[in-house]
Amino acid sequence: MAVSKPKLVVVGNGMVGHHFIEQLCSLGLNKTFDVHVFGEEPRPAYDRVQLSKYFETGSADLLMLTSAQDYQDWGITLHLNTPITAIDIAAKTVTSAQGDHYSYTRLVLATGSFPFVPPIQGNDRAQCLVYRTIEDLEAIQAAAQNSQVGVVVGGGLLGLEAANAMMQLGVKTHVVEFAPQLMPVQLNDKAGELLCSKIEQLGVSVHTSKATTAIIDGETAMHRMTFNDESCLETDMIVFSAGIRPQDSLARVSNICIGERGGIEIDDYCLTSAPDVYAIGECALWQQKIFGLVAPGYQMARVVASHIASLGSNTVSQSFTGADMSTKLKLLGVDVAAIGASRGFDNAQFVELSDNQAGIYKKLWLDETGKYLKGAVLIGDNSDYSRLLDSYLSQDEIEGSAVELLLAGAENEADLKDTSIVCSCHQVTKGDIVEAVTAGNHKMAEIKSCTRAASGCGGCAPLVQKIIDQTLQAAGLDFNAGICAHFDHDRQALYHLCQVEGINDFNTLITLHGKPSASGHAYGCDICKPAAASIFASLQNHYVLDQNLGHVQLQDTNDAYLGNIQKDGTYSIVPRVAGGEITPTKLIAMGQIAQEYDLYTKITGGQRIDMFGATLSQLPEIWKKLIDAGFETGHAYGKSLRTVKSCVGSTWCRYGVQDAVGFAIDLENRYKGLRSPHKLKFAVSGCTRECAEAQSKDIGIIATDKGWNLYVAGNGGMRPRHGDLFATDLSTQDLYKYIDRILMFYVKTADKLQRTSIWMDSLEGGLAYLQSVVIDDALGINSILEQQMDHIAATYQCEWKTSLEQPAFLARFNEFVNPSDAPEADTSAYQRIREQRFPSIKDAGAGTIAIKDITDDAAQLAVEELA
Amino acid sequence: MNWINVCNEASMPKGTGIAAWVAGRAVAIFNLGDDGLFALDNVDPASGVSLLARGLICEIDGELCVASPLYKQHYRLDNGRCIENADLVVKPFDIKTEQGNVFVLAQS
Repeated sequence: MAVSKPKLVVVGNGMVGHHFIEQLCSLGLNKTFDVHVFGEEPRPAYDRVQLSKYFETGSADLLMLTSAQDYQDWGITLHLNTPITAIDIAAKTVTSAQGDHYSYTRLVLATGSFPFVPPIQGNDRAQCLVYRTIEDLEAIQAAAQNSQVGVVVGGGLLGLEAANAMMQLGVKTHVVEFAPQLMPVQLNDKAGELLCSKIEQLGVSVHTSKATTAIIDGETAMHRMTFNDESCLETDMIVFSAGIRPQDSLARVSNICIGERGGIEIDDYCLTSAPDVYAIGECALWQQKIFGLVAPGYQMARVVASHIASLGSNTVSQSFTGADMSTKLKLLGVDVAAIGASRGFDNAQFVELSDNQAGIYKKLWLDETGKYLKGAVLIGDNSDYSRLLDSYLSQDEIEGSAVELLLAGAENEADLKDTSIVCSCHQVTKGDIVEAVTAGNHKMAEIKSCTRAASGCGGCAPLVQKIIDQTLQAAGLDFNAGICAHFDHDRQALYHLCQVEGINDFNTLITLHGKPSASGHAYGCDICKPAAASIFASLQNHYVLDQNLGHVQLQDTNDAYLGNIQKDGTYSIVPRVAGGEITPTKLIAMGQIAQEYDLYTKITGGQRIDMFGATLSQLPEIWKKLIDAGFETGHAYGKSLRTVKSCVGSTWCRYGVQDAVGFAIDLENRYKGLRSPHKLKFAVSGCTRECAEAQSKDIGIIATDKGWNLYVAGNGGMRPRHGDLFATDLSTQDLYKYIDRILMFYVKTADKLQRTSIWMDSLEGGLAYLQSVVIDDALGINSILEQQMDHIAATYQCEWKTSLEQPAFLARFNEFVNPSDAPEADTSAYQRIREQRFPSIKDAGAGTIAIKDITDDAAQLAVEELA
Repeated sequence: MNWINVCNEASMPKGTGIAAWVAGRAVAIFNLGDDGLFALDNVDPASGVSLLARGLICEIDGELCVASPLYKQHYRLDNGRCIENADLVVKPFDIKTEQGNVFVLAQS
């Protein structure tokens, strides 16, 4: 009989509610509790901080923090579209709007906040909207389509975000603020003025000191807003963003204590007045304070997870001790930051810097003695934010005069102490990052996954990278340096050198740009040689085993013999089966060849057929037969395009909306033979059912009824990653253009043996940057990238066909230089299982061979060869 | 002890290896041009498979090596010692050329 687990109910699936679930899972509590999460919105948690990004791509996908699948994987029941309407704190149950009852052992309220709409006559007219959810954004987008002019009511942080969104929708934007300046909560008057002039330069009209008195019918536009100073403004749409109020109505009706001005009262463990009920995030009131930022909400989430974990164990729970409300952000492209008492206070000393030419304003507030930083405001340049925040949080005495804090230039990671918080979203300190780097995580992507730093808003990413570099340098490790002992350049630099100087052979490359060895050798190693071979192939696309250019000596294990080596030294053979489509005649031909050579055959994950057990000398014979039967090489041995997997698509499938197979074949034929930093896998699905699993591929394409959606940088394997939605509803022509550019940009900039998934994570600026390069041509290189891809496609060759045309070269495939002296191959080394041939060597394989002290790169290479 | 003529110089590719059958054993021979000829037992001691001739020539810390195609251990061409694992050693063979022919000294 199953023992029923205690029940944990979470009401609210916003950023804080979701962060709580993540904390719960990281503590393993999803195993000990039966967890139910209720969200009233139709989708799981998304990033509300960067809502205006929705308009950059027209899709909510980029904002998503999680998926229903994640919750399923964690064993957590997620109820979407399910508002909770009542809590019975005595019976310990909650009731949903649908009338269902759920009991709880512990309850967490993460209901967030709602936008405050000022009580103005006419505030409920058509196209009078708020800015909080994705549904709100959709309504704003719809309204913008028939609007010339729009007004945002509220000149605070959120209001300016909303103004940014409105501008992006092509609406002439006004901001109306009740106070005499913008961002009155955070900024002093001068800072507000500078921000105002900067925003007006961008074309936003700012009206301060205006209280709206009514909204009535307009004459030139839909509405007329009248103000207390008798002025008026005509507008087609209005977005209210005049602050937030805690969403405490559920707690209120359930007799949980509420503060006088709203907010669910909590103690230092975030417990409310009701037994076993917690509240976290913007709905919670701690010491009469509401925290309207995400970082304090995350802190509360951690406190509650730790408190629940501490019950019934010996651990001591964390407690909530307040949170710093300092913030740094870009509003309409303008850097803005506020730290501590950013508006000053009585008797404060101050240092002020006002640079009218550069458009920079900074002010530091110090205590009466002038020795301690109490607050700061920065406009136009917040590059010294981290250093100032550190000085503020630590309350260390300022050395020297305070003005030096402002003149020290951009922040120096060396100034930070180990206890300094670098990532405020996830409370990661510099010490945490240094420790992770020292433990062997040298890449940005690794640091992101093990410390979570830079995985929240991402604002600290450049600083995190600096700390990584500095730590590596301090430890005497090569940082960001050469690919191996023979070069000081990374792959991108080598690619650039070869391209600019037209270098197409290793000797020239190592002589001109490599490091001479003491003995004067110029052999390179198994890291730089294959990397160079790949670069030459990406640029020139010559035959990879060219002897005159010496390319044959550079190729790694598999490329060197155009086959995939197996544990017994034989090879496997994979002909191209584009899109996974094969005629019965070709299938029979392949079967006959496999039968003749007694090859073990297996269907691969990429919808083709792998034939194992060919000896070195059999490779040319077998390939001759395959080519005669109409096959060509499948490049399974190369770091190049492997397959384009497809579902059956609209030609047969009753759900398909596009011809997935036909398109997959065309794609495979365009990109086959492209040598890249690592292997590439594509897939095309003919409808949103996604049978081809395209989101797990480097390039994934899903048909829509309007065209194709393009996903980039997905991965299966050891580190699964869903592809990022890159663009939607593309025409076939645009899709090819984008893929050309993305792939060539990857080839140009990726590190050696770096899959697109890791590349994307390490790309500064990530997906948005890649989109700006590929879609907006931010670097002005798109035509070059396309030309390069055209060159690759035009110079494609089947490497086996080329090899077979050079009989002298085929001597390379002889087992022995003196074959007449050698005995026949030993066939006793095989056994038969399920009617097929298998190697009988038992004691070989990566699992049993101790690979010790091999460099990371070599071990990675070894693992990659297996894949 | 006798020298076995395995091939002529012209049939040895430069900068890569090739296997030769020498008195009952497979021997990997490497032609490094000005840096000379090297010969090692073709069997990779880490995997027990006869394939070292198919490895990539490398220079690791100034030593010329061959990287095993399977698990990438590096063996020194001059003495067969594994750079990463002192327990692994490949037997080196003497090799020479005479009048355009390549000879490997057979071992019992």
